[in-house]
Amino acid sequence: MSELLRVNNLKKYFPVEQGLLTSRLSRKVKAVDDVSFTVNQGETLGLVGESGCGKSTTGRCLIKLLVPTGGTVEFEDRDVAKLHGRDLKAFRRDVQFIFQDPYASLNPRMTIGEIVSEPLVVHGIGTKTERRSQVQDLLKTVGLNPEHLNRYPHEFSGGQRQRIGIARSLALRPKLIICDEPVSALDVSIQAQIVNLLSDLQDEFGLTYVFIAHDLSVVRHISDRVAVMYLGKIVELGDWKNLYDAPHHPYTQSLLSAVPVPDPEKQKSRSRIILQGDVPSPIDPPTGCRFHTRCPIAQFPICSEQEPELRDVAPGQRAACHFAKPMPIALG
Amino acid sequence: MSTLLEVRNLKTHFHTRDGVVKAVDGVNFNLEPGKTLAVVGESGSGKSVTALSIMRLIPKTTGVIGTDSDILFKGESVLGMDDAGVRSIRGNRIAMIFQDPMTSLNPVYRVGRQIGESLILHKGLKKKEADERAVELLDMVGIPHAGERAKDYPHQFSGGMRQRAMIAMALACDPDILIADEPTTALDVTIQAQILELMIELQERTGTAIIMITHDLGVVADMANEVMVMYAGKQIEYGTAEDVFYRPLHPYTWGLLESLPRHDVSEKGILLPITGQPPSLINVPSGCAFHPRCPYAKDVCRTQVPQLTSIEDGHSSACLFSGDPGFRRETASPSREVV
Repeated sequence: MSELLRVNNLKKYFPVEQGLLTSRLSRKVKAVDDVSFTVNQGETLGLVGESGCGKSTTGRCLIKLLVPTGGTVEFEDRDVAKLHGRDLKAFRRDVQFIFQDPYASLNPRMTIGEIVSEPLVVHGIGTKTERRSQVQDLLKTVGLNPEHLNRYPHEFSGGQRQRIGIARSLALRPKLIICDEPVSALDVSIQAQIVNLLSDLQDEFGLTYVFIAHDLSVVRHISDRVAVMYLGKIVELGDWKNLYDAPHHPYTQSLLSAVPVPDPEKQKSRSRIILQGDVPSPIDPPTGCRFHTRCPIAQFPICSEQEPELRDVAPGQRAACHFAKPMPIALG
Repeated sequence: MSTLLEVRNLKTHFHTRDGVVKAVDGVNFNLEPGKTLAVVGESGSGKSVTALSIMRLIPKTTGVIGTDSDILFKGESVLGMDDAGVRSIRGNRIAMIFQDPMTSLNPVYRVGRQIGESLILHKGLKKKEADERAVELLDMVGIPHAGERAKDYPHQFSGGMRQRAMIAMALACDPDILIADEPTTALDVTIQAQILELMIELQERTGTAIIMITHDLGVVADMANEVMVMYAGKQIEYGTAEDVFYRPLHPYTWGLLESLPRHDVSEKGILLPITGQPPSLINVPSGCAFHPRCPYAKDVCRTQVPQLTSIEDGHSSACLFSGDPGFRRETASPSREVV
């Protein structure tokens, strides 16, 4: 498999607004701090973590919606930061984005037809009539009635709106789609419809996905490989099966054990790791391993002083922990 | 055990410009002391309106509760009470935790003062006593340095801590019933695990009955003794957690359970979603409201409204075919054959 996207030491810091008398430049939120991974042609990479771990910021850096503070993003072996003009426009055709909130990501004053055809208009593709039939095809592809193209977003339910967002992202026949929590605003039965639709489209169009989500079961279902993030860092990265069957990092283990499984007997009998406290602030992340303040197996002083490298712990699986060892956590 | 709460044929309808929204349309259940009832359903199924009706928080201007509906708290009708009577129960004997801990605390009052408010109102405590008790309560829900944190404003708390403060507030008067409306939906999984653990622990200590409203079947499996499944304002299945998870009767419950990604498979198949969209509550489909999405629907489902009927001891379902022993969970195989 060839690499479609390569991310090297990606960093994104945001300056913190401070009072008048203190230095305005001293403090930064390190939203993404030295993250490296690759995405292969045709695969789905899942990016999981809790709020504030930097997964959405990473996604936005990948499509140049945010300019990274450091590191590079390479798409088809070309540095995205160096793209300008025509090349940048071509890149934007190849890489699309699906947003989390199907209510906020569609302009309420545009019809569905206008929304889905807008990327085609921007890129000057086809005549008006060609675009119209193309939009109808797209609506059919995502399971909507092609006759609804003159309707407005408010006439659709959440799941249908997410389908509209997917149709829009498909309009330019992209190679890579970044899905930022595409199903978390939807009901379970509708979630399954959208997840199936994304898989079908991947098969049909040979798409590559970066799938950002906080729901570990959905990520397990859709991903080929999964990266777990904590406070701006990737703590574990591996093939979905290895990562879920034998998580090596204590944070991955805690995350998996915190998900309640929909089976009363299993849920009540399984052993769980309940983490203490909240995620620390990314303004002043803990020294050494960022997870050491909540880690059930931390040993001092090594964990609070030395930052663990993301190292190979098993074939096709890497973890950033000094004491990484496999621990199966049944997800039911 | 005496029945703590009895909900009889609850109907809450809203009159809007577009028509009558039948948000809750005939719900019945009992709640016993110390038990947890989970109310499950998708958005718009009437879960929250059921809770708000019990709390008498439905706005009188638009919301109408049916004349033959009744809610009995320890045998006394909540719906028949005057405002003073309702105030003596609400927040005191029946307390509620809301979904969004970010918006349900008042940003201009200190957290401790907000927790103490109900103690001053219901228990007649002096301000100072209430403040002291608020610190004890914050400590009980696991807020470190409770004495100092009680003086903080809500914005100084994280999401998980705010939800802990909400729980402290709800438990301040030692209520008989705690209604938790999606208490962990806005929280991260590791924080959700902390909050659920806390609720289970506090329930063991205080014996409070809990009505847990959620759409997360994992949370249901974790907390519930009994489960009520709602669809389009109606109760479509009711039973113990074991009944509903292991021997579900209604095709909608089957669909809900099957649409979840499975964890025990090493090869990935496709998910089995429920097709179609949830119905509009203004134009509820005729007959069984679920029939347009039901893979087993027959002609009779379009015309006849199924009633909630007891199939096994304490396990009931509102499907015309639930009484048929051949129409069971086993029939809902992945191939989805129509029986």
